[in-house]
Amino acid sequence: MALLELKNVSKIYGDLKALNDVSIQVEKGEWVAIMGPSGSGKSTMMNIIGCMDKPTIGEVLLDGVDISKESQKALTDIRRDKIGLIFQQFHMVTYLTAVENVMVSQYYHSMPDEEEALEALDRVGLRERAKHLPGQLSGGEQQRVCVARALINHPELILADEPTGNLDEANENIVLDLFRQLHREGTTLIVVTHDPEVAEAAQRTIVLEHGRVAREVINENFSNQ
Amino acid sequence: MLIALLSIVVGATILSGLVTIYIDVPRQMGAQFRSYGANMLLLPEEGASLTADSLQEALGKIPEQNMVGATPYRYVRLDMPSRQQSFISAGTDFSQVQKTSPYFSVEGAYPKDTREILVGKEIARTLDVKVGSSVELSYKTTGKAGDKASGGDKAGTVLQGSAEGFNKVIVKTDVVLDEEGKIASLEVDASSQTPGIGSLVGTDKAFLDQFIGKSLPLKLSGSQAEDGAAKDAAQEEDSTEAAAQEEGAAKDAAQEEGSTVDAVTGATISSQAVIDAINSASSSSDDVVPIENTEHFTVAGILSTGGEEEGYVYMSLKDLQRLTMDETLDAAELSVSADAEELEAYSKEISDADLGITARLVKRVTRSEASVLGKLQALVFLVTAVVLLLTMICVSTTMLAVVSERRREIGLRKALGASDGSIRKEFLGEGMFLGGLGGVFGALLGFGFAQLVSVSVFGSAITFRPLLLPVTILVSMAIAAVSCQMPIRRAVAIDPAIVLKGE
Repeated sequence: MALLELKNVSKIYGDLKALNDVSIQVEKGEWVAIMGPSGSGKSTMMNIIGCMDKPTIGEVLLDGVDISKESQKALTDIRRDKIGLIFQQFHMVTYLTAVENVMVSQYYHSMPDEEEALEALDRVGLRERAKHLPGQLSGGEQQRVCVARALINHPELILADEPTGNLDEANENIVLDLFRQLHREGTTLIVVTHDPEVAEAAQRTIVLEHGRVAREVINENFSNQ
Repeated sequence: MLIALLSIVVGATILSGLVTIYIDVPRQMGAQFRSYGANMLLLPEEGASLTADSLQEALGKIPEQNMVGATPYRYVRLDMPSRQQSFISAGTDFSQVQKTSPYFSVEGAYPKDTREILVGKEIARTLDVKVGSSVELSYKTTGKAGDKASGGDKAGTVLQGSAEGFNKVIVKTDVVLDEEGKIASLEVDASSQTPGIGSLVGTDKAFLDQFIGKSLPLKLSGSQAEDGAAKDAAQEEDSTEAAAQEEGAAKDAAQEEGSTVDAVTGATISSQAVIDAINSASSSSDDVVPIENTEHFTVAGILSTGGEEEGYVYMSLKDLQRLTMDETLDAAELSVSADAEELEAYSKEISDADLGITARLVKRVTRSEASVLGKLQALVFLVTAVVLLLTMICVSTTMLAVVSERRREIGLRKALGASDGSIRKEFLGEGMFLGGLGGVFGALLGFGFAQLVSVSVFGSAITFRPLLLPVTILVSMAIAAVSCQMPIRRAVAIDPAIVLKGE
């Protein structure tokens, strides 16, 4: 059963069809990249998958629930419980330390647990930087903290928006390695990206153009052992 | 954030300061108003009289700490014989006058000793008297001849009498008795007696002096009455009848208890007439006779008030009571520090107390007090309200700025699963914390502020009201909470999607 299914989804702003009758499926445990030029509808699709927007037409099934019909409040709950978000700009709370930033996510989900948060940081190799403020961390380190934050609540789906857009190659590789690790553990990953290299790391790439699915590419060389 | 805190501190300062003043204003202003004079008047009820005792009892109905002053008054018309003028004279207690009529302006000093007076400016001008001048004042009334009079230090009883002397000519006597009933002084008008010997009874010092210290009734010493009468009669012409009368009278007198005096040699009949006159006066002391008491006073001060008081002469109650031989009071002016309701209650209590006293409020004073107080409190209230409104606007604006500054973070929190409720709670908590902190500082600063205002405006310290501390803090928190509503709405409306795609 697909973890995520978009059925004939359209998002219309006035005359503009940001998404035009899009249907995709993402299986549980799958690693999918979404590519496309600016204005192709990537962001709109990401907002809808991330429960931050609703389609004008069509159904969005996440874990069997049609989120296109849910209220704002219910969407917040679903996002909190099922989705881990990773952003291009990292987005850390500037006055909180690395471990506290991870705990913010715990706080809204359930209960802050510093031990668990430290373990999550350990996973991304930043345990010893736990007490540093975002300003004292490099971009790569900040993004790794964000990965730790995204996975702390064990989400069904990790949704990453240009996760390596602001990183150098070394850090990009570190983040991709983290994704591979998550994938091995069975986490479903959807990565929106411009970067063909990042897209190639995924099992499948969905290419959007003008609000439609232009093509889907299966990565024949995908291996994650 | 600091600005929001600062504005709350300022708002809370003004709040607690003005509220402190608001509460204290009646007390402060009450004290100020007391300088406009008495606000309660005690008068005797019809048919009753006001006395020192009943006044004291009435004053007991008013709590001592509220009593600013209580001044008794007695008004009497006094004459000034030397100028043939008369004016109202008020007997009072000068130490109290200064409390109930603080607007009295005295050139010189308030009288301190007995026989010192305070003269109204108008009278001083008419009479051309100055501080230190001596003034003679007299009180005329009618009364029983035996009434107590003001004989100065020789206060005693005045007896006026008359009797027929030689040739049925009238001899008049004026006798002043001391307190033990003994003759203190004596004046004899015998000018119509036989010139020479007979009229000597009015001038012969040796004869007159022997009366002093004697008690009534009097008689001629026995031998003279018996032996001298005939002899005198022979010496004086046409005296048989009189002599016979005298002899009888002398015999009668001899049988009575009393002091004896020696007659003027050769004027036994006239001497007897003096004694008769004195004795008759003592027995007729119930007759109503005119009394005039006169004393000298020293002007201690000249009073100017701009009012009718300038036409009065003020003296101590004691002086006036002695002069008038009357201890009743006409009125008492009270200056009570209390609000209109309390005053009303006190006045009712006094009037109802069956003391024969009616208490009246001086509406001119109490009403204007109440109206000024009301206006002042309304003003303070208004200023407080405006300041609080400004505080709210300032806090609201600052919080809005904070929200837009933290849009990203709020968006992130929402993206991470923060519900609207938890965003609301966070900001509300932050706002109330600010409010509480600002309230603590504000309450303390506010007390200082109120103290400053009180000392500089009213010239007296303010009492710290512990209750105001929690009240200020709570109000500050409430204001902060209200101010946060719009920023919170703004925060809740932030779209979590802003965190996707770097803006």
